[in-house]
Amino acid sequence: MIKTVNLGKKYGDFWAVRDLDLNVREGEIYGFLGPNGAGKTTTILMTLAILRPTKGEIYLLGNQIQGSRVGMRRRIGVVSEKQFLYPEMTMWEYLDFFGELYGMRNRKERIEELSARVELIDVLDRRLGAFSRGMQQKVGFVRALLHEPDLLILDEPVSGLDPLGIRQVRSLIEEENRRGKTVFVSSHLLSEIEKLCHRVGIMNNGRLLAEDRMDNLVRRLTEEIELDLEFPNEEPQAADALGGLDFVRGTSIEGRFLTVKMKTDRDYRGDVVAALISRGHVPVGIQMRSMSLEEAFMTITKENIPLLTRADA
Amino acid sequence: MRASKLNTVLVLAKRELRSTIYGVGIYLAILVSLIISSVILQNHIKAVGRDQILITASPLAYPLFIATAVCAIYLALSSVTSIAREKDMQTLEALFYGPVDHAAYVLSKYIKGVLSYLFIVVFLAVYFVVASVISNLGLSLKFLGVIFLCFFLSSCVITFGIFISTLAESVRTSVLLFIGIVGGLIAIQIMHGMLIKMEEPSLAGSFFYLENILSIINAGVKWASPFFYVNKGMEAVSLGRVGMYLLSGGVSVIYSAVALLLSVLVLKRKGVRKSTGE
Repeated sequence: MIKTVNLGKKYGDFWAVRDLDLNVREGEIYGFLGPNGAGKTTTILMTLAILRPTKGEIYLLGNQIQGSRVGMRRRIGVVSEKQFLYPEMTMWEYLDFFGELYGMRNRKERIEELSARVELIDVLDRRLGAFSRGMQQKVGFVRALLHEPDLLILDEPVSGLDPLGIRQVRSLIEEENRRGKTVFVSSHLLSEIEKLCHRVGIMNNGRLLAEDRMDNLVRRLTEEIELDLEFPNEEPQAADALGGLDFVRGTSIEGRFLTVKMKTDRDYRGDVVAALISRGHVPVGIQMRSMSLEEAFMTITKENIPLLTRADA
Repeated sequence: MRASKLNTVLVLAKRELRSTIYGVGIYLAILVSLIISSVILQNHIKAVGRDQILITASPLAYPLFIATAVCAIYLALSSVTSIAREKDMQTLEALFYGPVDHAAYVLSKYIKGVLSYLFIVVFLAVYFVVASVISNLGLSLKFLGVIFLCFFLSSCVITFGIFISTLAESVRTSVLLFIGIVGGLIAIQIMHGMLIKMEEPSLAGSFFYLENILSIINAGVKWASPFFYVNKGMEAVSLGRVGMYLLSGGVSVIYSAVALLLSVLVLKRKGVRKSTGE
């Protein structure tokens, strides 16, 4: 859906984005992460032809992008961090204006349907200048979805939203994804990305450092993983049952809880449980402590760890 | 032009025109122009009363031209601020997330300007027809000629304004740029006019060189001034020279097309995103 090859943008002597090989697949929700100034918005603006790349190629919806890309933009919905609405227009006038720009015939029904989904149907006749930041953000969502685009590009979409608004927007994104839309979302809210996205790309200093599924990223970042097992009673000999397993790096026991440190090259949970049961130690609870996206993000960006190979891109 | 692009242009122009018609600026411009025209007409009527005669082929053409010129200044300022304001408010960027491209956007601004002019002409035409009936000052073919000529005037002024607007990042800069450029063009023309009126023997050596330099500059920059073509047109109307009148109209069309093309190129080059100074 979005593919960039060796994409770069230079301002003076400074490369805001360099050698970017991004690959967003059809039907997925792709999280685009990076600290401030990493080059995320620059990348998004280049894919939308708002900024001209210094080098490289961009493929959008299967076609190489050249020129103004208006035809392509009819298949894309964009929500930016700020909405830049016309304050003198009512919400209805604004959305009707965009519906007309897209040449939509059924815009009345569509505006009403989407406004109801973001709970703004009662304020359709109110001027946008009187809207709160969160309401403006929701109007941006309705505008982006109005023409039923195939691809949604969201740059900090939950910025300015309260927790309820964030939940509404999250369910809207998930619903649109279930309907077949590809979603490319850039956000600072790592917890949101973790909940929403199938794959993530992490940028730092204009470079893409990692692009993978969350679990793969964590596995590649960590050398060992911890498994917490709970027993009905204190079982001090349980750790002995794991003594001969080569993937076990260490064990510790505290009351009814056994912690097992394991290698990350594959999922060994079944092996651990099988070994324990064979020695008569039956766990009643099992939980794997893996790295969160936040921890992975911090590790990659702070230490600038490149996890990307050409094959990944 | 593809149907979808034409739709984009028309929808954008419609929104702009609506906002103009619902605003007060256009009515203020019409009011000021009509007040000035009324003063000129009153002088005409006083002259007739005093001298029992008014020697002019079309007594309403000149006030109409002045009225339209005043409205053209409003249209120019409206065009000058239009793109810069949208860039400043960053609504321009939001439009470009949708099916809007540079050419469609610039063209929509032009169409809105021309339609605004036609809106103004309706008011002016009604006023002058009523004024003609009341004052008994006759309408002539020249009156129609001036109305048509003023379309070219407005076209040149609107495209000139749009071009300036693409150069600026903010409304203030665009207005200052407009005043600076127009002021500069007028100053060159006035100075050149003054110097060529002076008799050669009275010119000191340095003034003579200055006159020559200004002649060269004037010959070059007059083509950039939208008012140059209209002056030519007015001259043609007053002399009754059809060929010169048509030529003036034709050159105005070319001027407008070139200014629009340059506006699209500048907008593409400078981008639609507000510069944040980073």
